[in-house]
Amino acid sequence: MSAITGAGSARPGGLLERIAWHWRHDPKLELWLALAAMVLFYNLYGIVFFLVANAQPPPDPAWELPRVQQWFNDNHYGLPIGFGIIFIVTFLTAACNALIAYSMRRMSVSPAFAYAYFIIYSFSAIPGMLLTCIALVVGAMRPDRDPELILWLYDLAFMAFDGTMGVFLVGTTIWMVAILLDKNRVFPKWFAYLNLCNAMTEVVVAPAWLFTDGVFAWDGAITWWIDMIVFVVYTGCFITLLRQMILREDFGSGPLPELPAAQAATS
Amino acid sequence: MNAAFEKRLLVVWLGLSAMSILQWWLGARHGEAVLAASAAITVSVLVMALAKVWFIMREFMEVRHAPPLLRRLVDGYLALTGVALLGIYCFGMAS
Amino acid sequence: MWALVLFEGMLFTLYFAVYMVCRVQSPELFLDSQALLDPRWGVLNTLVMLTSSWSIARCVQASREGAYEQALRNLALTFFFGLVFVVLKVAEWSAEIRQGLTFTTNEFFSFYYFLTAIHFIHLLVGFAVLGIVAYQLRSPARRSQQIVETGATYWHLVDFLWVIIFALLYVMR
Repeated sequence: MSAITGAGSARPGGLLERIAWHWRHDPKLELWLALAAMVLFYNLYGIVFFLVANAQPPPDPAWELPRVQQWFNDNHYGLPIGFGIIFIVTFLTAACNALIAYSMRRMSVSPAFAYAYFIIYSFSAIPGMLLTCIALVVGAMRPDRDPELILWLYDLAFMAFDGTMGVFLVGTTIWMVAILLDKNRVFPKWFAYLNLCNAMTEVVVAPAWLFTDGVFAWDGAITWWIDMIVFVVYTGCFITLLRQMILREDFGSGPLPELPAAQAATS
Repeated sequence: MNAAFEKRLLVVWLGLSAMSILQWWLGARHGEAVLAASAAITVSVLVMALAKVWFIMREFMEVRHAPPLLRRLVDGYLALTGVALLGIYCFGMAS
Repeated sequence: MWALVLFEGMLFTLYFAVYMVCRVQSPELFLDSQALLDPRWGVLNTLVMLTSSWSIARCVQASREGAYEQALRNLALTFFFGLVFVVLKVAEWSAEIRQGLTFTTNEFFSFYYFLTAIHFIHLLVGFAVLGIVAYQLRSPARRSQQIVETGATYWHLVDFLWVIIFALLYVMR
């Protein structure tokens, strides 16, 4: 148990010493930080949108003006505080996208996949999050604003958030094709198929532009609830699989080795 | 091609087609002026549809020869779908 | 691929369940609207889909036995029947739209167009899958039986989803 210095040496005990060692010597440090950023981001996202800002599940698109104004009043503090947090932590999405793009770089497929995904997803934060946050914060900012404008901001916010999925659809398809073509076994094939399932749920939001009530409205069973179930399962899966990828990472360019437990199970 | 397998596929296809035509006949108007609701027809048509899916999975998708886990998952999926659809229908129409 | 079959199967079961809930809440509306559909389109499409499933099952077996010419012929038949389905479906939608029955006409028609359209998208993806199977079968250097069977599994998924859609939209009452 002596503390030997040098690369690849035995790590010292004690939590703080281990953290310091990792900070200085772990070659996978950036990957772990990116994963941590991803976990932190999605947790904050969930807490802010669902609890603080009360913007998800989305309020009813069929509401008339007075009810909409009441919603803004009820959330007068929640909206700016919650979305203020989102504005500050938006940078975490860069780390999320980078980690996923990295997974594609590790695959045997062309780097074009990773770059295309990264570029597309860089844009995704705008319709997928920021536009909504800005619109709702602006709506909450002046309660005595022209009521028609408030209704407009309300529609803009939720249509941008729940009705636009084109970017995500293309991105998830890129990831799916990359996984199917990959020979380095970075991800199991079933995850590629889960991407297809996710892509389908991104197509079905289109009717939200046509209906203000019923199952096809922006808060409907088909366009929101089922989509949210699939999204949560999908996100949980890819966070877990990315974690496994980091554990298995050998910084080579060939097939990624399996985790030791899996190897023991199959041998 | 293996003659027995070919014959089996043919029989399955004929059976599925016959069931489809039967479903069509059941659901059609037989000289009535308007389409009338019928729980008996609905339930039998849905059960037939699930039976068709079961045959497609067992014969065409060869679940017959699959590992037990997959067979159970497939049966479970069909059972869940059947219970959900028939349950919602029966419960909904009764109330 | 079985993972996809079960994922998509579950997803569609959820959609079907939502449809059924809406149906029992407005039974007359749904019944009257359903009467405006012509079930002959439905049964014809069902027979076409079942036949395409049959031909791809034969393709898989032929490939397994090494009879690749026969496998490719059956694959071509599958492709052909898929195209027939596409043509029939588009013709049916055109006829209905000309009658003034559109996605926003009423709740039944929203579901009708939604379910048939999302099935149609799966069918289009199916053509790409058939293309991949064809690519595999054509050259002796490839011919991965696993890919052929995976592709066939996807096609059967498209078939059995239609079987349920046919029952829910065209014939149940």
